[in-house]
Amino acid sequence: MHLRLCLSPFLNCFTGYKVFGGDFVSTRYYDVIVIGGGIVGSTVARELSRYDIKVAVLDKASELPSGASRANSGMVHAGYDDEPGSIKAQFCPKGNLIYKNLREELDFTLNEVGSYVCALDKDEIAHLELLLEQGKKNGVPSVEIISGDELRSREPNASREIIAALWAPTGCTINNFEAVLAFMDNAQQNGVELFLETEMLDVILSQDKRQVVGVKTNRGMFLSPIVINAAGVHSDEVARMVGDDSFIIHPRRGDYFISDKYVGNLVKSFFFACPSEAGKGITVASTTDHNLLMGPTSIFQVDRNKTATTAEGLDQVIEGARRLIPPIPINMAITTFAGLRADPDTGDFVIGILKKPHGFVNVAGIKSPGFTSAPAIAQHIVERMKNELKDLVEFKPNRKFVPERRHIPRFAYLSMEERSDLAKEDPRYAQIVCRCESVTEGQVIEAIRRGARTVAAVKIWTRAGAGRCQGGFCGPRVIDILARELNIPREEVTRHGGHSRMLVGKTKEYWFREGRL
Amino acid sequence: MSDITVDVAVIGAGPAGIAAGVGAKKAGAERVVIFERDWDLGGILQQCIHPGFGLHIFGEELTGPEYMHRWISKAREVGVEFLMNSMVFHMEDDGSFWIMNPSLGIKKVTPKSVVLAMGCRERPLGALGIPGTRPAGIYTAGTAQRLVNMEGYMPGNKVVILGSGDVGLIMARRMIWEGAEVLGVYEIMPWPGGLRRNIAQCLDDYGIPFHLEETVVEIHGKDRLEGVTVAKVDMNRKPIVGTERLVGCDTLLLAVGLIPENELSRMAGVAINPVTQGPYVNELLQTSKPKIFAAGNVVIVYDLVDWVSKEGERAGKNAALFAAGELKEPARKIKILGGSNVRLYSPQWLSGQADATIYMRVAQPIEKRCKVIVEPGAYEKQLRYARPGEMSEVQIKAEYVQSLGDVAEILVDIREA
Repeated sequence: MHLRLCLSPFLNCFTGYKVFGGDFVSTRYYDVIVIGGGIVGSTVARELSRYDIKVAVLDKASELPSGASRANSGMVHAGYDDEPGSIKAQFCPKGNLIYKNLREELDFTLNEVGSYVCALDKDEIAHLELLLEQGKKNGVPSVEIISGDELRSREPNASREIIAALWAPTGCTINNFEAVLAFMDNAQQNGVELFLETEMLDVILSQDKRQVVGVKTNRGMFLSPIVINAAGVHSDEVARMVGDDSFIIHPRRGDYFISDKYVGNLVKSFFFACPSEAGKGITVASTTDHNLLMGPTSIFQVDRNKTATTAEGLDQVIEGARRLIPPIPINMAITTFAGLRADPDTGDFVIGILKKPHGFVNVAGIKSPGFTSAPAIAQHIVERMKNELKDLVEFKPNRKFVPERRHIPRFAYLSMEERSDLAKEDPRYAQIVCRCESVTEGQVIEAIRRGARTVAAVKIWTRAGAGRCQGGFCGPRVIDILARELNIPREEVTRHGGHSRMLVGKTKEYWFREGRL
Repeated sequence: MSDITVDVAVIGAGPAGIAAGVGAKKAGAERVVIFERDWDLGGILQQCIHPGFGLHIFGEELTGPEYMHRWISKAREVGVEFLMNSMVFHMEDDGSFWIMNPSLGIKKVTPKSVVLAMGCRERPLGALGIPGTRPAGIYTAGTAQRLVNMEGYMPGNKVVILGSGDVGLIMARRMIWEGAEVLGVYEIMPWPGGLRRNIAQCLDDYGIPFHLEETVVEIHGKDRLEGVTVAKVDMNRKPIVGTERLVGCDTLLLAVGLIPENELSRMAGVAINPVTQGPYVNELLQTSKPKIFAAGNVVIVYDLVDWVSKEGERAGKNAALFAAGELKEPARKIKILGGSNVRLYSPQWLSGQADATIYMRVAQPIEKRCKVIVEPGAYEKQLRYARPGEMSEVQIKAEYVQSLGDVAEILVDIREA
């Protein structure tokens, strides 16, 4: 009841992009359904939008990205971490290249800062040599081992304890929010339909269980001969719905800190501790928006939905970060978060087209370097679908495909002339909303036009509320604008969908409740 | 992008900024313009609808809007100009800056002198590193105050307040008045962060439990806040294992500290004191950039608005003198050092050109007669008590500073009598 109340107005007010919420009565028909709108789902969706087919992306969250694609290190890896011959090693360096090539076309922020893996003792140097060897075999360009002193001459805040480091100049920091939005935005421009707050409940199969027919969701049926499983941390659950129990996902939680920008310049490149069994270790990096990012931990947990940080985890992050960069001050944090990696028990990506049922595609277990690999995986799997599933759908080129898209103007990073021109064109670009990150009303309105429906979505699109006061000033303004643009009461604006309402009612209501006066 | 030229530009139309405008105009500056990013004048006092302001300046207890109304009338009388809805978003190191305004677009302002009066902001949850989820229903006390007092909306019904800063205490009472349940105020320190009178009038009078040396250690709830775990802390402010208990609530208000807002000051290259997080200033409220002055909570977080207004006037006056070329290069530069029980103080420098008021906050409370001492010699001031939540001040005459001879530093401290 509550959901319907809060979402039904979205259907009426919507003009621009195809984002849907609300209950459906009628069944909808597609050629391909993608389950999950993370980096995997969105890169696959964009790849599919090159063809003249009807594609729907379903995601249970209220805003994209929501799962591991939202809460991660924001890193495009160089590709030396993965064992040569593995699927990861095949896709990671390719993905790295694709991001660099698409940066202009899709307008997301990517900084080629390079990365260091730091060795603190002799054993770790041996490990660096192994990584160097792997990097060469995987075709990673220009990796080399440098001395601790050489490292400190480039990065003066690096610890004195670091005796050597593996330097990979092709590692990049990426704005992971922008990247997911960019792929999905472009896919939508090219005809893909995105359904948020749409949770898949079951896969519908033909009577003989040999063919995919569609999916059942909380909003009704979506029928389609092809279903792509990009459900991230839930992908094994989805696979089991069609009888595929070849892999199990163990969620592995990572806790992170984000610092105030005033310490964002402590490092230039991405710093990794020497990796262990558990993962790549605690990293320190300056994000694309010049905050310092510290984390993640690597803790197995059973719950696939709980992204709560823990005290031990956060302590571990600070300790690990200071081991690499000792001058990181206390009280520099502006926020903490946790993400759940989709760690498959197979140890590698699960990518394939099932024989039975026909039409079911797995793009699952895309753990680190999953974000990096995603665009390469997307190209690969769509290429295979064109051959192996051509009996189900005809992959004719989409002649109207437009590869370019622009992000919402990033007011904070524009020159004075550009800002002035923008403000002349639309005065709402001279109306400040978020003071910390210099976000204007024009940007917030454009985000809503492109499908932002929650306070969190506005933050992901524009950075309003992502600064050092964390929405203290702009929070009430963003609620106002959302309510106004969506034509809903302010009490129905949510932080991140569902029951996450920001306000519980008007003042003075209490006194008019039954029996009070 | 034509320029706006002014004599004295004031950034911020809160209590410090408006007083600075008045001060500048009274000191003879020709064109004084206050740039304000909000639609209305008055800054944070617009939302402080409770009484308690103006006892020192007007001799009566006013509400925030009443207090500001008097200052705004004064500013209008003396001919201060205002530019509303104008965000200053970039400042050059020569003190010129850029504003954006929906009707004017982007403009450059080149003033002869500037007064920084941007105030402060509240420390957010993220700064505390409290583990758990991040649901809706967590607000800083000031944001909640804006929602309730100005916009007419309730942020929640069952409220826990973390920290005992003044805004948090005021909001505890305010939420009760609006029919919400306030389950308790938790303060990690052994003493309150806000004024004693607010503890009495906002918590005690309403039977709201006040827990010293307790804090929130975990946050629960996926969509909306469902509860917080609180625990006692030890002497190092670390949670004591075994003292945790769950408090069910749908709202957490934070009153865990105010931080001077110095983005523009930093852009302009003004030297910032890492302890106060505000600019280093002398008794003229001049920063390390001679053209740039600063006053109010942008310099140091005050306990009473009366002091903010007084300092604002002082900064405005000196900025006007600077703009007219009447302010001499300081002949002397004496550094003020804080003693062991002085946690924060301002100004940090004396030039000897004018009488000075030094404002201080103690590190440890002294609940008996104590004194402010200024060394070397000469100065002592008796106090009934000294508390971290309340400021102490001492006046220093210019003649004293001039009489110091070769002394390069003076020490201020607050000790038991």
